[in-house]
Amino acid sequence: MTFIRFFLLLSVLLLAACSESTRTPYSQLDQQYAVESGGTMVDALSGEPSGLIAMLAGESSASAIAGNIFNSLLKYDKNLELTGELAQSWQVSADKKTITFHLKPNLKWADGQALTSEDVLFTWKVMTDDKTRTPYGADYKLVKNASAPDPQTFVVSYAHPYAPALDSWASLHVLPKHILQGQDINNSDFSRHPVGSHYYQLASWKNGESISLVRNPNATQGAPKIDRLMSRIIPDKAAQFLELMADNIDSMALNSVQYARIFPARPELNQQFNLYKELGNSYTYLGFNLKRKPFDDVRVRKAFNYAIDKQEIIDGVLLGLGEPVSSPYKPGTRWSNPKLSPYPYDPEKAKSLLAEAGYSDHDGDGIVDKNGQPLSFEILTNQNKEREMTAVLIQRRLKEIGVDVSIRVVEWATFISRFIKTGDFSAVVLGWGLGQEPDQFNIWHSSQQEPGQFNFIGYKNPQVDHLLESGRLELDPDKRMKIYHQFAEILYQDSPIVYLFAGYGLPAIHKRVKGIDNPAPPAGIGHNSYEWYIPSTLRRNEISAN
Amino acid sequence: MLKYLLKRLFWMIPMLIGISLISFFIMHLAPGDITTTEAGFNPKASEESRQKLRELYNLDKPVIVQYGLWLERMSKLDFGNSFASHQRPVFWQTTDENNNTKLGMIQEALPITLLINVLSMGLIILIALPLGIISALTQNRLPDRSITLFVFIGFAIPGFWLALMLMYWTGVAHHWLPISGLHSMGADKLSGFAQGLDTLKHLILPVFISAITGLAGISLFVRNGMLEVLHQDFITTAKAKGLPEGTIIFRHALRNALLPLITIFGLSIPGLIGGSVIAESIFAIPGMGKLFFDAVLMRDFPVIMGILTIGSALTLVGNLLADLSYAWADPRVRKGVMQ
Amino acid sequence: MRKVIANPLALAGLLIISLILLLALLAPWIAPYDPNAIDVKAILLPPSMQHWMGTDALGRDIWSRMLFGARISLLVGIVAVGIATSIGIVLGAVAGYYRGWVDTIMMRLVDIMLSIPTFFLILAVIAFLTPSIWNIMIVIGLTSWMGVTRLVRAEFLSLRNREFVLASQTLGAKDFRLIFIHLLPNSLTPIIVSSVLGVASAVLVESGLSFLGLGVQAPQASWGNILTDGKEYIQFAWWLSLFPGLAILITVLGYNLLGEGLRDALDPRSQ
Repeated sequence: MTFIRFFLLLSVLLLAACSESTRTPYSQLDQQYAVESGGTMVDALSGEPSGLIAMLAGESSASAIAGNIFNSLLKYDKNLELTGELAQSWQVSADKKTITFHLKPNLKWADGQALTSEDVLFTWKVMTDDKTRTPYGADYKLVKNASAPDPQTFVVSYAHPYAPALDSWASLHVLPKHILQGQDINNSDFSRHPVGSHYYQLASWKNGESISLVRNPNATQGAPKIDRLMSRIIPDKAAQFLELMADNIDSMALNSVQYARIFPARPELNQQFNLYKELGNSYTYLGFNLKRKPFDDVRVRKAFNYAIDKQEIIDGVLLGLGEPVSSPYKPGTRWSNPKLSPYPYDPEKAKSLLAEAGYSDHDGDGIVDKNGQPLSFEILTNQNKEREMTAVLIQRRLKEIGVDVSIRVVEWATFISRFIKTGDFSAVVLGWGLGQEPDQFNIWHSSQQEPGQFNFIGYKNPQVDHLLESGRLELDPDKRMKIYHQFAEILYQDSPIVYLFAGYGLPAIHKRVKGIDNPAPPAGIGHNSYEWYIPSTLRRNEISAN
Repeated sequence: MLKYLLKRLFWMIPMLIGISLISFFIMHLAPGDITTTEAGFNPKASEESRQKLRELYNLDKPVIVQYGLWLERMSKLDFGNSFASHQRPVFWQTTDENNNTKLGMIQEALPITLLINVLSMGLIILIALPLGIISALTQNRLPDRSITLFVFIGFAIPGFWLALMLMYWTGVAHHWLPISGLHSMGADKLSGFAQGLDTLKHLILPVFISAITGLAGISLFVRNGMLEVLHQDFITTAKAKGLPEGTIIFRHALRNALLPLITIFGLSIPGLIGGSVIAESIFAIPGMGKLFFDAVLMRDFPVIMGILTIGSALTLVGNLLADLSYAWADPRVRKGVMQ
Repeated sequence: MRKVIANPLALAGLLIISLILLLALLAPWIAPYDPNAIDVKAILLPPSMQHWMGTDALGRDIWSRMLFGARISLLVGIVAVGIATSIGIVLGAVAGYYRGWVDTIMMRLVDIMLSIPTFFLILAVIAFLTPSIWNIMIVIGLTSWMGVTRLVRAEFLSLRNREFVLASQTLGAKDFRLIFIHLLPNSLTPIIVSSVLGVASAVLVESGLSFLGLGVQAPQASWGNILTDGKEYIQFAWWLSLFPGLAILITVLGYNLLGEGLRDALDPRSQ
């Protein structure tokens, strides 16, 4: 009994120790404030980075944090056009095989050392070293020769013109030679104590709990307004949302239910938070194994495309928070072909296409058949609620045209190794990125069908092969655009996959954070995060022992 | 007795090797490896680079060779480094030539999980024992029925649901308790005692949630075990002899109900180092459950093997302790076990 | 059997279980909707006259899904626990009765099984099994017998040297008779408690299997996967977690009552 009494006493003590936090009245949040520096912004990460050298780590959480610490030579601006970051300018030689980067003057690392083209060269050498444990080396190994003729100049030359090269230099974080030289990059403590050149530097990293960044006084791109960024690692979305409601974090990425159902129902949340909407970086599709019957028949694939109601999937799975796509490029950007629009939902046309391909319900069991074989197949997807629901909606629509579909959800590693790599599947619901770089050679070129490569659906079209090859050789943006528009059009006609949707990213950010572009430009709201600021009267009490 | 103990301890070595061998093969039976999960589906990651990675991690060698390499390292008590988590040591910290210390993954996760589990185990015993006893003494009357209903509700209620409700109630609606994590923001600026109190506050909900589901098992075993005894002849005899009721209940009846309890505790010793993935995700606690789960999904072999090895060692110890406790609790068993 | 029915506890338990079984059996006739009928215009509706238990994220009627889900969940719960308990009783009885090296080998087998977490074991077999309800039941059954084994063994070790056992043995009773007629009925209590709790666990484990790719596959409903889906929408749609949670609770309570009644009827000591 004394134990119980002790426990009760303890809980009373603990409860009493927590103080009610003093909150800013909501009305103050909507006022205008002058731009000022300082303050801390807290956000939530669903996963913990494995390290902060993005090329070794690979996860999105690593890129998110490392992107505030490291610079690349180039970057994408708010309209997703390439521009210089460390590089002031760059030239492509007449034979299109050599690129010369000119670095900005007086660049410094966070520790005060000069950042020069030697560092860029060093980073390239690390990336192409066979001992470096990175799966992303391929683009850099195409460089035949790299050199740093003077501290401001970095020159790379390729054996053949390689248009995606510029994109590859926009995604490579430049690492400090003076710290890493002679170290084993794979085991270096640097990935947990990085020194970079961007707006922020690492202040502390508590494993599994939080990562804090603080302003870098030597930032190559000038000073950001907000002093400190803290990312708390909270794997569960529902828990993140509770932390947001309790005003313990300033921002999180909402899911569609939180955005479309909970926010509208709770006015006090709308008084505290601004909601944003930005088109995400990937699209979801239904892909077919083109080496198997009946998917080798374009009429069957088109029939499926007509039979699936994409808007219904967007409304049902994303609560309307997404867009249909009709090419593998972000709608509204240069690469997306404006002439294409999604296959309309037309079950009658679907049925007639199936009949044309020889499939109709001969035995009257509700399932179409050909030569006595009913048309039925399995859709495989990984454990992802959105994809599973999408598959269920597809199953229902295909059933209406007499196709029998079953669904199987498999854990990711098994999915890739057991089914994709071996080609042992009929159809998949999966996603591909809507990258800024239009080259999709690895996904669609017929040479990329070996196990482990990415044209696992077995797509083969000589015209597309040719376009993808010439797209890589063409560096002129307008000519490239024509090539990829044509490529998208052929894909559209061949219908090797059914484009389903691209979902929105739905950040909610506390109104104390000012200076955010709304509506979001194509690059998303984060493109000017260094200009965001928190007026001092709205800042959160720094030590809140709650 | 000593001979028995030595014999059991001696058994453990071949057992551990056997279990690790089986685990190792099962691990490789599951499709995929670290190169599939890490950047496995990014078109920028080429198959050649992944093949190269496989060679660097020795994943291209036959499983039995890989097992040999692992066993060789283990014989020096070297648990190796994680594939996925950037070469962090699996078990214990290492220091490199520049005096940078990398903390071990299990080293960090284990104390948290152990603390939560020990606290919740304590709480379970504290609540479930009295509940079971009351239940048995008021068999089929209102207290018994309400207790049974209560513990079953605790057992069947979805943990994530209760957790989120309580988090909302104590953290959002009232600012009584922190919602998730282990430390408050800025807690490192507080004094040591205040920091301890801060962490303790963070643990209240996780401990409570993990205890509530465990009540049913223990209280039912106690209740039913006691009932079984209370009906037996020797209790009637004891009553007839005029022994006080308290003595009867605690000396005889409870002791008899202990046998299944010992089994349950023995079974839960390995569980002490395993956390619940769901609870750890919801409360954002970096514990063993999520560490193992993520390692399995990532196919992070050194971490999987590290946790399994420690887990199986604890399982063996737990079962040995259970057997020893049987012998202590019930002299009749002693002969049986130690034969 | 008459003793079971005469026991009010057992009768109440039996009634609860039969009612749920009946609802499950009659699902196609009493469910107001097709459990898989999608209606994207009726997503996540709260309980109402049209939808007694509300609708899920695809606008499907939860009450109908609960009825159909009961078929799977009850079957999985009963069969899986049946398999686990039978294995547990046989192995535990043999180990506790014969002791010595038989016991050692059995217990080391238990140690091995306990050392390898279930979900890890399952991951290894997914690639070789196709998802079917029979595979689910077998997998759950084959991976959850260790607790019962140890419980039964402990009871046997304790009972083995009691007078009534030794007496029957001296009188020439066969091992089989001793185990099943004398020892087992006296060891029922822990078996019943653990199998009652096992039923609820099996229902939940089933939904975990769906996660790994072996469980009931979409769009088929089970209580476990309705509950798991509910987790995604917990902040908005409480009904998705409440009803399957309640159903599991009622089932477990029913089993517990039935179990207690059975024990009272079968356990020679409580007569």
